[in-house]
Amino acid sequence: MIRVARYQLTRPVLFVALPLATLACVFAVDVGRGGDTFRGGLAVVLLMFFVTGLQRTGRWLPFGLALGATRRSFYAGTALLGVSMSLLYGLVIAGLQAIERATDGWGLSVTCFRSPHLLNGPWYATWLTSFVGLSALFLYGMWFGIVNRRWGMLGLIAFIALQVLVGLAVMFAYPNVGGHLDSLDGLDLTGVTAALAVVFLAGGHATVRRVTV
Amino acid sequence: MTPAVSVTGLTRRYPDHVALDDVHLTIGTETITGLLGRNGAGKTTLLRILAGQEFPSSGSVHVLGSPPAENENVLRRLVLVREDQEYPDYQGYPDFKVSHALRAASFCYQNWDAGLASSLLEDFGLRANKAVKSLSRGQRSALGITIGLAARAEVTLFDEPYAGLDAVARQVFYDRLLAEYADFPRTVVLSTHLIDEAAALFENVVVIDRGRVVLDAAADGLRGMVTAVSGPVLAVDSFTQGRPVWERRGLGSQASVVMVGQLSGEDRERARSLGLDLAPLSLQQLVARAPGWAVGAGSLTERTSV
Repeated sequence: MIRVARYQLTRPVLFVALPLATLACVFAVDVGRGGDTFRGGLAVVLLMFFVTGLQRTGRWLPFGLALGATRRSFYAGTALLGVSMSLLYGLVIAGLQAIERATDGWGLSVTCFRSPHLLNGPWYATWLTSFVGLSALFLYGMWFGIVNRRWGMLGLIAFIALQVLVGLAVMFAYPNVGGHLDSLDGLDLTGVTAALAVVFLAGGHATVRRVTV
Repeated sequence: MTPAVSVTGLTRRYPDHVALDDVHLTIGTETITGLLGRNGAGKTTLLRILAGQEFPSSGSVHVLGSPPAENENVLRRLVLVREDQEYPDYQGYPDFKVSHALRAASFCYQNWDAGLASSLLEDFGLRANKAVKSLSRGQRSALGITIGLAARAEVTLFDEPYAGLDAVARQVFYDRLLAEYADFPRTVVLSTHLIDEAAALFENVVVIDRGRVVLDAAADGLRGMVTAVSGPVLAVDSFTQGRPVWERRGLGSQASVVMVGQLSGEDRERARSLGLDLAPLSLQQLVARAPGWAVGAGSLTERTSV
């Protein structure tokens, strides 16, 4: 597992530098626009973790297996690395939020790292929520990457369609689910996201077991 | 002693074809085996299953005494070099370099020899700071060979490792493989189409055709096993009478026959006296005929006696 993590870190650019650069860009755009409205730029970082999870499985798996990794160790090592990076970036976001709060929006009344609903509590709540959110997106991306590797583009389309169907079924079965989610506070939503992350982790693990390269 | 590879009743079915059909195979430790056969014969599927990259439909596979699938104790002692190896060099992330591939391999193989890897890169004229994405086909092959040899894995599987390599680079591969094998003996399986070029390396030869093993023999036993006899029709008929014959061609008063069986000194003397030419079939010629040989009536006994 550690060997896989080291393999994944042979080129750490996407893991280390790119999210930082993205955060810097998001910040620069928010400062450029001005105003104290949260515009959701942090979603770009979430998206980046999703894409990274997708690529780190789909693209890095064949050479990983060629180097003697098992599917299980590859999956566990990659997930471990993604979760560790989420922990680190959660801390970075919490730190930036603390600075933003202390300087009243960087001295410009800018709201970049404080979301009114999700990320507006104490630093540790922000850390936890960011960590769980980034981990969930990374694991979700990994699952997509594995589905693509195992069943190709058609499988990926079927996978997405299946999720849409499940989502619609839930909405029909529980019409108030949207309102219920709206009523949850940040930590509650973090709990829901954590539960989803566990589902993604289990789903990806079950899918990777029969992948061939 | 536990064989390096032991395969029993191995079958791999796909929806549209059977890649391997009831394969039985044993490969001893510290040998070099040539895995030969036509395109689509099932060689790559077999090697992928040995390396745990593919799953069998049925049958049992043991490598170093244990099933390889999802078995880290086996897989970390095994390396598979594939012609079509994918590296993490996708669009938008083109800077995965040769040095990164080698560094990754160095984490994974306890016997990794960095000095050997550098020396091989030099021999192949491959720069370590070159992006894998920009490598030519031959350079990608050179990278695979470098990883395969420098890993010094107990079981080293090469699947058409030198696609795109020129003759000089291929000779480098043969020389370095033999030198490495002499210094650090290991089990090597080499799948190749360049049979005669690599024939001198092989201690054993396995030929696969349409998913079945049609020939599994010691290379020394095969050399001189099959001979083309040509000359006057009557003399050829007299000489080959009572011997297994694969192929017969005639042109006017001349005939050419491919005959199975080792020739004694007495046989050769007789052939000379009859004015016949004797030409042993090369391994490549032999492999080309092996599928027919295996299914040909009366020839199977020869096969088992090789």
